[in-house]
Amino acid sequence: MSKPSDLIQGTLDLLILKTISLEAMHGWRIAKRIQQISGDVLQVSQGSLYPALHRLEQQGWIKAEWRDSETGREAKFYYLSKAGRVQLEKELAQWERLSNAVGLVVRTV
Amino acid sequence: MQARRWLDIFRLRLLSLFRRGRVERDLNRELRAHLEHQTAENIAAGMTREEARLAALREFGGLPQIEEDCRDMRRTNYIESFVQDLRYAARTLARNPSFAVVIVLTLGLAIGANSAIFSVIEGVLLRPLPYASPDRLVRMFTANQHFPKFRVNPFDFRDVRERNRSFEKLAAFCRKDVQLSGIDRPERLTGLLVTAGFFETLGYRPALGREFDEGDEHSGSGRVVILSDRIWKRVFAGDPGIVGRKIILDAMPLTVVGVMPPGVQHVGQDHDTLAHGDVVDVWRPFVFTGDPSQRGSHFMDVFGRLRAGVSIEQAVAELNSLYVQLGNEHPSFAGWHTLAIPMQKEIVGKSERLLLVLLGAVGFVLLIACVNAANLMLAQATSRQREIAVRAAIGAGRRRIIRQALTESLLISALGGILGAVLSVGGVRALVSFLPAGFPRVQAIHLDLPVFGFTLLIALGAGFLFGLAPSIQASKTDLIQSLREGGRSGGGHHAMRLRSVLVVAEVSLASVLLIGAGLMLRSFLNLVHTDPGFRPEHVISASVSLPGREYKTGEDIARFCAQFLERVGRLDGVQSAGFGTDLPWTGYNENTNFHIEGTSSAADDNNHARYHAATADYFRAVGIPLVKGRFFTEQDRDNAANVLIVNETFARRYWPNADAVGKRLTFTNSPKEKDWFAVVGVVRDVKDAPSDVGAPPSFWWSYLQQQPTNTLFLAMRANSDPVALVQYARRELGQLNAGLALADVRSMDQVVDASLATPKFALFLVALFAGLAIVLAAIGTYGVMAYSVSRQQRENGIRIALGARPGAVLRLVLMQGLKLAVVGVVLGIAFAVALGRVLGSLLYGVSAVDPLTFAWVAGAALVVAGVACYLPARRATRADPMAALRAE
Repeated sequence: MSKPSDLIQGTLDLLILKTISLEAMHGWRIAKRIQQISGDVLQVSQGSLYPALHRLEQQGWIKAEWRDSETGREAKFYYLSKAGRVQLEKELAQWERLSNAVGLVVRTV
Repeated sequence: MQARRWLDIFRLRLLSLFRRGRVERDLNRELRAHLEHQTAENIAAGMTREEARLAALREFGGLPQIEEDCRDMRRTNYIESFVQDLRYAARTLARNPSFAVVIVLTLGLAIGANSAIFSVIEGVLLRPLPYASPDRLVRMFTANQHFPKFRVNPFDFRDVRERNRSFEKLAAFCRKDVQLSGIDRPERLTGLLVTAGFFETLGYRPALGREFDEGDEHSGSGRVVILSDRIWKRVFAGDPGIVGRKIILDAMPLTVVGVMPPGVQHVGQDHDTLAHGDVVDVWRPFVFTGDPSQRGSHFMDVFGRLRAGVSIEQAVAELNSLYVQLGNEHPSFAGWHTLAIPMQKEIVGKSERLLLVLLGAVGFVLLIACVNAANLMLAQATSRQREIAVRAAIGAGRRRIIRQALTESLLISALGGILGAVLSVGGVRALVSFLPAGFPRVQAIHLDLPVFGFTLLIALGAGFLFGLAPSIQASKTDLIQSLREGGRSGGGHHAMRLRSVLVVAEVSLASVLLIGAGLMLRSFLNLVHTDPGFRPEHVISASVSLPGREYKTGEDIARFCAQFLERVGRLDGVQSAGFGTDLPWTGYNENTNFHIEGTSSAADDNNHARYHAATADYFRAVGIPLVKGRFFTEQDRDNAANVLIVNETFARRYWPNADAVGKRLTFTNSPKEKDWFAVVGVVRDVKDAPSDVGAPPSFWWSYLQQQPTNTLFLAMRANSDPVALVQYARRELGQLNAGLALADVRSMDQVVDASLATPKFALFLVALFAGLAIVLAAIGTYGVMAYSVSRQQRENGIRIALGARPGAVLRLVLMQGLKLAVVGVVLGIAFAVALGRVLGSLLYGVSAVDPLTFAWVAGAALVVAGVACYLPARRATRADPMAALRAE
């Protein structure tokens, strides 16, 4: 998969933040969850997922810690920081606005 | 909350910087955990263990690429990879030290030269003058249709000082050297007469006592003096009670009212030339005497401090309207207007062009050094293509490869910069000692922070400049091709073309410098070979100033002249000796109007000429030949008929169709018979400076009849070495009057040398830089040709195997190189023509587009290029046909 464009990248950030907003998850599970919930429409490749996770971590939106996963393996679990929660709200609102606007245009014109 | 976030970010950055091992391990663990999860899922879906692992890996993609992308997300990545690149670059350089040494040396030389020249520019042109708020200081002159820049009449100055609103303060001064006596050995001191508030205008405060106020400007009250720190310490041993003490100046007791702190910088003046700098020994108040309605004589230098917010243009407009008022009040003043020049420009303006030309020249040298470095780096990059291909193959991105190559060139340029900084220390010292005498603000030239900043800047700039082309070239490496060929071929046509462009650039830059040097050489030779109009060999000059108190009348001065010259004339080895108001090429510029007998007085306003006075043997001593008539004699004295000697320009201008000898002119409005002066001789023209186009119209009074000043300049022509005569002349002077000192002693040869010092300095440096440039260009051309020959050696071998004679191969390679050189020279000439205007005003007697110089330079550049190509060409003829055939 080639480098995601800005729009996709921003959307991926939103998807990640939203996915881990309820519970901490490791990378593989995040990808799986997005795939499942979107009904296999959104397939996040590892090549974009991990750089995105690291970027979000570097920006202070998410934090990480090592824990045992459900299968007993050690994995790096990501969860939202306080700042990340605020950021998620912002991005959600932004997304609503954008998708409504796109929807309006697509439906009416 | 935001603060916590920043804290988190900071912690993470530190972690990635200093605990890199752990961070890397974590990354690897994380990605492996992902693989294991995927594998487990695949097994759960029914694959065998091996199938599951391969499927997971396939889906995952390139592990190292993802790792690298994740690393990129940690911003510290840049620092990390920079350190990594730096280490790598250092290792590469250490493996091939001769390559590194060549580049570092040439760059270091070029950077050092640039820093040295820049330190002069910084100290002289860029640094503010050492006065309080110097940007508000303005020099004021007057001008009319004949005199584009002239001094100011004292009464005009006083009126303007009273009436203007543009200036916070205005001050005026004129030079008046004085005789200090009453101490062991009399001494001539450099002195100024200054108006009230002179120091305050510049922002100086006396260290002891007070400065002059308007009370000191009235006649009878001017018997006070302010000493410089230098004189106070040297002559008066730093006496703390000096204020109030009386000292003897010009045979008059004057009261010391103040001592200035060390390092007071004179603003400088062109007339009675006194350069900017710490040159003044004593200051006395200027006393306004004489008839304020007579405003014909202009001898004050004026400067002022503008009020905050007032522009020069506004000040000029106001002063010009004041001048109109003054012209109405005093008819002798009419016709003048104001000329205002910012102080900084007045002081350093004349050196600006020269310094910028030098900076340009030295900048060219740096460019050539960069091109050379680029060429060498390019050759290196080509031979390292395989290595780069391997690195690209295992996941290095294009930007990463460019960055790595740039790091290498930056490391080299940084080393060059360090070497340059070291070299510039010596360079600045050498430059300062080479600077022509009278160069402004020499004391302000240091290596300081701005200079080192500049050095750093150009070093980094150079690194980017010569690193960019090779690194882009490297990043374009064709992976498959390079890996397959195993590094045998290199670069291909593209790289070769780039190298050819660099050779052309180098040759053209060097040609521009050579042309500049050639033009300056021709200009300098023209100056040296110009007939000065006098014979400077074996002439010694000096000055004596006669205190007005002891030598009150013209008769007194005339008697002193006769007595002293008689004594000196008797000395062994003296051919002739004479006094004059001035000597050639020393900046004398005193002018007057006059009326010519038989013409209407309406023309008088346009009659103006330089006035001088001289004793009988002055012309013989200085060596100015007589064209017509006679020199002065001892008989041209007070009670005899008034006489004049004029120069050729004067004679030609005012009597174009007649013999000047016998014509008469006068300097008074309603002349009586005794007010007429008859021309008795015409002498050769002497220009004001050797580079002037022509001489101004000039005339001489007989010193025994007219004594315009009481500072006399002595010229003594000796049979052989004139310097030995100085001590005898000094002895005779002391016997005549123990209170007098001989000052400004120098030979006329020294005067001539001084007048040529600036063009000599410019020529020397530009020639030095041009020489450096052509050597660098030759090295560069040689390098490229040698490289191209080594690559074509098989081809040449085949040519020889097929029967080509060595001469033909030689010609082939030579033509390749010369073609590039010709293009370079042509471009260089075009460039030089475009730049010609810059050099124009620095040249004398040669056009900036002088075809002869261009031809010579083209020839020389091609010869040098030919030599640089010849060695590689010779090697090409020795290509082994057998080796070539075997290799195919």
